[in-house]
Amino acid sequence: MAARALRISQVGLRGIVGSGVTASRVMDFSAAFAAFLETAGPVVLGRDPRASSVMMREGVCAALMASGRDVIDLGIASTPVIQHCIRRLDAAGGVSIGASHNAAEWNALKFFGPRGTYLSTGEANELLDIFHLGQFDFVEWTHLGRKTTDGSAMDSYLDSLASVYDFDTLRKAKVVVDCSNGTSSLILRRLNERFGFALILINADTDGVFAHEPSTSARAVEYQLGPLVKPLGADAGFLFDADSDRVAIATAEGKAIPEEMVLALAADHVLSQNPGKILITNLSTTLLLDEIAASHQSKVVRVPVGRSSVIDALSIHSPEDVALAGEGTGAVMFPQFRFVYDGIATMMTLLEMSAARARPFHEMLDDYAVYRMQKAEVPLQRRRIPQLFDALLEKFPGGNAITLDGIRIDFGDRWFHVRVSQTEPVVRIIAERKGESPAEMMAAVMDLARAYA
Amino acid sequence: MPARQHLLKIGVSGIRGVVGGFLTPMLASEFAQAFGTYTRGGRVVLGRDTRASGAMLEHAVTCGLLSVGCDVVKVGILPTPTIQMYVEASGARGGIALTASHNPPEYNALKLFNEGGQFFNHFERSELIDIYHEADFAHAANASIGRITEEPETPARLHVQRVLRCVDADRIRARRFRVALDGVNGAGSLLTPRFLTSALGCRLNAISIDPTQPFPRQAEPTPDALGDLSDLIRREGADIGFAQDPDGDRLAVALPDGRILDNDEVLALVVDAVLSRLPGDVVVNLTTSSVIDEVAAWHGRRVFRTPVGEANVVERMRAVNAVIGGEGANGGIIFPAVHYCRDSYTGMAFLLDRMAETGEGIEALAQRLPRFTRLGMKTPFRRGMLGPVFREFEDTFADARFDRTDGLKIILDDGWLHVRASNTEPLLRLSVESRSAEKARELLRTGTAILRK
Repeated sequence: MAARALRISQVGLRGIVGSGVTASRVMDFSAAFAAFLETAGPVVLGRDPRASSVMMREGVCAALMASGRDVIDLGIASTPVIQHCIRRLDAAGGVSIGASHNAAEWNALKFFGPRGTYLSTGEANELLDIFHLGQFDFVEWTHLGRKTTDGSAMDSYLDSLASVYDFDTLRKAKVVVDCSNGTSSLILRRLNERFGFALILINADTDGVFAHEPSTSARAVEYQLGPLVKPLGADAGFLFDADSDRVAIATAEGKAIPEEMVLALAADHVLSQNPGKILITNLSTTLLLDEIAASHQSKVVRVPVGRSSVIDALSIHSPEDVALAGEGTGAVMFPQFRFVYDGIATMMTLLEMSAARARPFHEMLDDYAVYRMQKAEVPLQRRRIPQLFDALLEKFPGGNAITLDGIRIDFGDRWFHVRVSQTEPVVRIIAERKGESPAEMMAAVMDLARAYA
Repeated sequence: MPARQHLLKIGVSGIRGVVGGFLTPMLASEFAQAFGTYTRGGRVVLGRDTRASGAMLEHAVTCGLLSVGCDVVKVGILPTPTIQMYVEASGARGGIALTASHNPPEYNALKLFNEGGQFFNHFERSELIDIYHEADFAHAANASIGRITEEPETPARLHVQRVLRCVDADRIRARRFRVALDGVNGAGSLLTPRFLTSALGCRLNAISIDPTQPFPRQAEPTPDALGDLSDLIRREGADIGFAQDPDGDRLAVALPDGRILDNDEVLALVVDAVLSRLPGDVVVNLTTSSVIDEVAAWHGRRVFRTPVGEANVVERMRAVNAVIGGEGANGGIIFPAVHYCRDSYTGMAFLLDRMAETGEGIEALAQRLPRFTRLGMKTPFRRGMLGPVFREFEDTFADARFDRTDGLKIILDDGWLHVRASNTEPLLRLSVESRSAEKARELLRTGTAILRK
């Protein structure tokens, strides 16, 4: 069973344009969002450069305006900029159009609440219920919303970055950036213009054509960005996904840094400045984080995979107690930016770390214990998932089993996590072991997964 | 049984309704998707009048068109005839005007044009409505999603040029006519003042030409709604007064003493002006006054009659290669040398040209028309009433000639009656006309008695 063309979930609406994401679904979902919003105020809207994003923008505008909401259109804008703008303008919420790391034929709608954060699980469920009910709050013609544009969102966002990071130091960084023809291109070009950074930008056209799949996988780094770092004499390379909420890194030699290390490096740096504060991450990320946290007298709080789980955890813990949150995919959020995944801020944090320690990335990587991680997926066929979990518990006794999201069994220096994907009809399996390959454990888990999944 | 209110009507004339709970952005978008599926993609011109709901619906229709692979050429706020001729001149695949014409401001509608910039004929309309009901739209993938372009200037320039080449503009300009204008804050608010002053050299006293403001009077320019224009023309001592409807296809004319000229007489004056310059016959609908027959007879031309409706008149005009046509009661003047559409600008230009040519005022020109008395009434339509009513009329006027092409027209030696069901509202309309006011009143009494039985 292949990935379907449409997925409507707590994350929003995502799918292949035409077959799954249609004009009608975009408008229905946007009208549901307008009915869902409780606070007064406008809705901030931004998009990525895909051609289909323009079509979707028109549908989102129509549905929001028909619901009496004013729309502030930021044009092509990265998700972090949209989220920043929601808070700055005290907006009721926001919508981001763009399928992030998915291929060009995909697109998606993501929704944000009045604080600019992703919706919590409860909020997302409420939005879904309204969408499925199909009853929207359209207003009379005298109360229709109006659309305006705001060209200052990016500059305000950059001002905000400048107030958090020491640009005098960071602008000296010699870095090449692969923008994946996404929204980061606009921000970074402006950063060069306004603040005298000298970032070398590649794949920086935003005409809706992607030079490569806009994903932050190690493969993309290895083949697209890596080979350019050394010839250009750069100290590192950064690669953003299309909506610039994730980032991947290439070393000065052009090697891809494993994607789990983005959060690990950021955690080490931020926790060293904020010892004792907690790090929120999901059950699928590396055990190295626990080791790093312990070295700063900090603790790791693990939550189910998915953005809304992180948002749920943030509502339980006091914001002052949280140092950062993130995923193993290179998506990291910081309290200074009110906890939104922000690839640009992540890059700044890592540049700050490299500058503060006066060491390039490949050297810093040597400081950490090596954890070997393997990832795999098994298509859902038999769907005997509870039986699979029972079989895993029987096969791997003596570990610490966590059943918050699928099953994760921990043995101190190694662990595996088996869960059903929220976005595709597959069972995802991740196994990790300190110092050695987890292949043996992985093979045993895979055997069971194939038998039951 | 009270007449049902037509808050939403989806039918062969397109889609029209009260914005809010009835004409939703989803319906507008789906209709646009049906339209774009019908045109098989390609360029579609999109414009609108000044209604508050226009901007919202513009987004919805743009979304729908883009989603089925059309390129959208946005021309913004323009009169319907201007949009129609631009569709044809620009080689677009079709056009949509967002306007409910003379309907109240809470209404809006999609007017649909074929590649010739004309209203869909019967066959085109039924195919489109089938596509809409089948809802099997040609959803485009990202790679075939079209683009939005904007063309705010060219259409208006084209329209003015086309009208000017049909009249003696120098002659009009030389007279420096003083003109009063009521633009109803409609789609002509910007173009009409420019047309009358820059193109025709008139001195202008205008009211209600702010496209950002709501309609200050009833949208339909009927005599009882034009009190402000009457006051204006008397106060300013203007030579002639013009009033448009919100989408600039209909024209009403005020005399210097403040009286509003009957619409049939406006058409008769324009027909006289055209026939005195050009060869060719005349086409009007069945309800249009016999004054047209007399004026045509002055010039030795024939008059063809059609069912009510612009598309019907246009179809016959093309068939007989008519030089001028129109629909008396609703102020529509159709002059093919400009475009096959109702056009208030052609009307204004020909009336001013005739005044310049003859040296006579509009009052004197109107005075020379043969006098007819026209009366009418309407009654709620009850299902099943049409057959008995028509039989009763035929029995009552057994010696008359009957025309059954649109309802029933009863043609007597000294007058006529026309009874028909409205295309747009659940009403039966009765119109009567005679040279003798006494006879007209008698016909109305007889007809009303039959309808009220």
